[in-house]
Amino acid sequence: MMSVLLVLLPLVVASVLLFTRTVRSARVIAWIGALAAFVTASLLSGSASVQIPWIPGVGAYIAFDPGQAGGVLALIASLVMLPTVLWASLRVETDTGRFLAALFAMWGGLMGLFLARDLVLFYVFWEFTLLPSLVLLGGWGLAQRRQALLKYLLYAIAGSFAMLLTVAAIRPLAGAESYLFDDLLAATANLDGLTQTWLFAGFALAFAVKLPLFPLHHWLIDFHEQNHPSGAADVAGTLYKVGGFGLFAWALPLLPEGARQAAPLLLALGAFTATYGAVIAARQHHLKRLLAYASLSHMGLVAVGLFGLHLAGLSGAMYLLGAQMVTTGGMFLLSGMLHARRGSFDTGSYGGMAASAPALAAVTLLVLFASIGVPGLANFPGEFLALLGAFQASSAAGVLAVIAVIAAGVYGVNLYQRLYQGPEPTPVADLRPLEVVVLAPIVAATLWLGLAPAPQLRTFEADATVTITQLQQAGAPPAAPPVALGEVRR
Amino acid sequence: MTGDPVSWAALAPLLALFGALVNGMFGRRLREPWPGYLASGVVVLGFVLSLLAFATFGQREVGVSVRLWEFLPVAGLDLAVGFHLDQLSLLMMLIVTGVGALIHVYSLGYMHGDGGYARYFAALNLFIAAMLVLVMADSYLLMFVGWEGVGVCSFLLIGFWYRQQRNPDAARKAFIVNRIGDTGFLLAMFLMYRTFGTLTIADVNAAATAFAFGAGALTSIGVLLMLAAAGKSAQLPLHVWLPDAMAGPTPVSALIHAATMVTAGVYLIARSAPLFAQSPDASAVVAWVGGLTALLAALVALAQTDIKRILAYSTISQLGFMFVAVGVGAYWVGIFHVLTHACFKGLLFLTSGSVIHGLGGEQDVRRMGGLRRFMPLTALTALVGTLAIAGVPLLAGFFSKDAILLHTFASTLLADHGAGVLYGVLLLSATLTAAYMGRWYLLVFEGEPRLSVEARGKVHESPRVMTVPLLVLAAASVLTGYLGLPAFAFPNWIAPWLEPATATVGFAYPPLWAEWLLIGAAVLATVIGLALAWWVYLVQRGVPVARLASGRLATFARSGAGFDALYQQAVVGPAEGTSVALAVLDRDVLDRGLAASVTTTGVLARGVMLLQTGLVRNYALAMLVGAVVLLFVVVLAGVRA
Repeated sequence: MMSVLLVLLPLVVASVLLFTRTVRSARVIAWIGALAAFVTASLLSGSASVQIPWIPGVGAYIAFDPGQAGGVLALIASLVMLPTVLWASLRVETDTGRFLAALFAMWGGLMGLFLARDLVLFYVFWEFTLLPSLVLLGGWGLAQRRQALLKYLLYAIAGSFAMLLTVAAIRPLAGAESYLFDDLLAATANLDGLTQTWLFAGFALAFAVKLPLFPLHHWLIDFHEQNHPSGAADVAGTLYKVGGFGLFAWALPLLPEGARQAAPLLLALGAFTATYGAVIAARQHHLKRLLAYASLSHMGLVAVGLFGLHLAGLSGAMYLLGAQMVTTGGMFLLSGMLHARRGSFDTGSYGGMAASAPALAAVTLLVLFASIGVPGLANFPGEFLALLGAFQASSAAGVLAVIAVIAAGVYGVNLYQRLYQGPEPTPVADLRPLEVVVLAPIVAATLWLGLAPAPQLRTFEADATVTITQLQQAGAPPAAPPVALGEVRR
Repeated sequence: MTGDPVSWAALAPLLALFGALVNGMFGRRLREPWPGYLASGVVVLGFVLSLLAFATFGQREVGVSVRLWEFLPVAGLDLAVGFHLDQLSLLMMLIVTGVGALIHVYSLGYMHGDGGYARYFAALNLFIAAMLVLVMADSYLLMFVGWEGVGVCSFLLIGFWYRQQRNPDAARKAFIVNRIGDTGFLLAMFLMYRTFGTLTIADVNAAATAFAFGAGALTSIGVLLMLAAAGKSAQLPLHVWLPDAMAGPTPVSALIHAATMVTAGVYLIARSAPLFAQSPDASAVVAWVGGLTALLAALVALAQTDIKRILAYSTISQLGFMFVAVGVGAYWVGIFHVLTHACFKGLLFLTSGSVIHGLGGEQDVRRMGGLRRFMPLTALTALVGTLAIAGVPLLAGFFSKDAILLHTFASTLLADHGAGVLYGVLLLSATLTAAYMGRWYLLVFEGEPRLSVEARGKVHESPRVMTVPLLVLAAASVLTGYLGLPAFAFPNWIAPWLEPATATVGFAYPPLWAEWLLIGAAVLATVIGLALAWWVYLVQRGVPVARLASGRLATFARSGAGFDALYQQAVVGPAEGTSVALAVLDRDVLDRGLAASVTTTGVLARGVMLLQTGLVRNYALAMLVGAVVLLFVVVLAGVRA
């Protein structure tokens, strides 16, 4: 029952926070709630799965399984949420209680989304989580938040609609016992190619918007630019980029034939998105827009890993998704700390701060270099495997996506140097105790994910193996055999 | 850890990492000499461990593997954080920790009083850790961790004095050019996985040996590895970052940009020797890139006026010699030159650091001269280094360079790829080497002093903590050569030592008299070069080249043969243009265009109007409606079924 508790606990804290009057009590509740939710999440991996009938007429269950890929992502998301709640509780000055309530609603929704093993349940959490992210942007965003909100909403509705139709259609068409993953998996293999392709297209549209993939990415840029300057809402948004997870956990294993049909196009689109985002990021002078484009590039790499339809790439894509929660999330928290010092996101108004704020510079360097894929840090294992898998499917797509690695070097180094090197106009304060506490889990996770990826990768690989098996059973052999023996000398 | 002392060497990178962590986190709280002592201590300890492993390695055929923990156990890859300690990696460890320890000690004096004292030693320790991981790794993936790690440290140290804009610019250039090379490394790994299904170095090499000779896949992998090597080791066409990298503190130039990191590319090829030995085409690319780089950089070095930039181009040129060696299949020769070069080039950089230190920051050789009188010890050691690199008989550079020339001449692997021409190119480069190094030494230490008044007042010999490392390296610049005496007449230790760890390629050695003749030719090249420098710069005081030096040719050479300008025009400009164009496209066409077309079409526009009134509430309603529709559809379908 631990997994149910993990989903419910943040939601309960959220509702309590809604009715909390004073800022001080809201803070205390938030801190205790965050700690409790995090501890629950870290104890989760050992707990058993849950399956309770929910809506018998529909065949929907309340089913959570923490032993799957989603369990790992839920743990990482909780680890990022913990410092984010702390940071928001002290940096968001207006209507703090409600802001925190929205964050906790997000937390609970994400837990449900990652752990759900029933498609209807997954869909419900998918939609539910949209609400707090809208509330955060609409309630605490900057001057042009209406426009950003509208754009976000339009994209989200288009995606949701496609997903709703697909979810509604998949069980009856496949003739599955229920909406449980295992039941669907057993039934969808019988779907013919055309039906699979249509259903997959529905999923793919919804997930591509949420990933996002070019050209459906524009909501993301404005979303980040217009969110609250503390960066806390951006972290929540970063954790909510779950399109890759949806593909990995649902669309690919359930609809292998459709996946195979769509994969070449989406692989190319992913590779293009990866390079496109990184190249544009190199030209950005607005810190949050830069991070948004960089994040777009990461999502392109996630897509590249998924649509290579290779065991290494699938596992790597999920790893990258988890790692970027920490590194991109960490960068957004740092953007809030920078904004607190200079009151601006324009990188031109920074410079030379390594002199007066060496510890801040060091942490930024670590998290930023992790996010551009420097080996030994969080993003690298995932990025490497995603690219490796894509290359096995298509050398051209692999090469195109690898250009993103160079462009990432450009924007990463440019950003660091613009913030911390060169002459310093006015000194700033170095890390404050609160900031140290907020950044500690981020730094720890950046090193942990970078140095010891094996256990998490094993979990991802186990799930990915299901997809690969489905693909193999669905017909032709997968992209490329790992070993070509053709040229062995006698 | 096992009882085998060889495996204890696996602690060396961890020790350096520990030093980096302590200095990085608490260094600012420690008073001056302590961060330096700690940093030097862990590297000395690493050297002792390496020496112990080296001494107890004995006559083993295969190396010792130490697996620390699992890294990427996915999709048939069984990759660990694991080290492979064999003849090749142990020798590299000795170079890295040996030269590294000396340069740490030297830095105690050089960085005295600098505001970033602890930060400097933290980065230097981190570099040692990454470099050790690079040379000790048992898989290409882990090697890549060290490979990019040293790049990051190089970035941090080139831009160490980050307040002047020039230094961060140089650091950025180094990092980005290296990343371009690194994509070659990545793609090579992807191709290895596709071809062999593994990334473990030993397995890749074993599989490559069993592969068809000259197969296309091997050539592709080899060329991609060479792209990576060209980035890290500053070879054509990616050499442009190294001269600018001299913006870093001089001990950094000595350690990272002369003795160790830049030789990583040579190590990469030698480590993959069985693969390259199977692919003459890839080997030819390696050798020719090296040969052309050696010649071009030597020519450019002749025209430089900055004491460190001369040495930087010299390093590029000498690395070219090493690539020729590993390209023609003489893997032990390449590593032998890595070893001797680490000693004499490390020495030359440290002497130039001593000069810069003694002159209070002066770097232009035109404003030096006659420094032997003021800095006798520096001058003496600089002379040893100069003669060693020029190839004067009985010094280290003579033996290693001669071995490169001989093996190029006698190559069978590249017999169809112009090995003879390559030999000529190298002989010419060797002559130029003697000439530009002679010029360097004479302009700095001999003749009349041309110091500025300001510098004249300050000039002094450096403290003992800096001169002792000079003496040690000067001794090494003589002695290391005797590890690899010409095999046809003398005992040679290094070739049989390295052979089991690399690969054996056949050579058509000429008859005995011809070998002596080749040695004579090499000596003649050295003598011509040195004599030319002596006559032009000491006897004639530079008069014969005074007109030339202000001419167009010299200006062209001084600018590094126009590569920077060319890349600015042909690469950087278009790349920036693309970036701007995409950014505009993204904002004006995709965003505004899409938004406009959506919001102006009638139905959607009305929908949007509806949504704008109480956005969130409506959305919640829409979701509810959606959920009801979902239920309805599903129930209906369920009933029918």
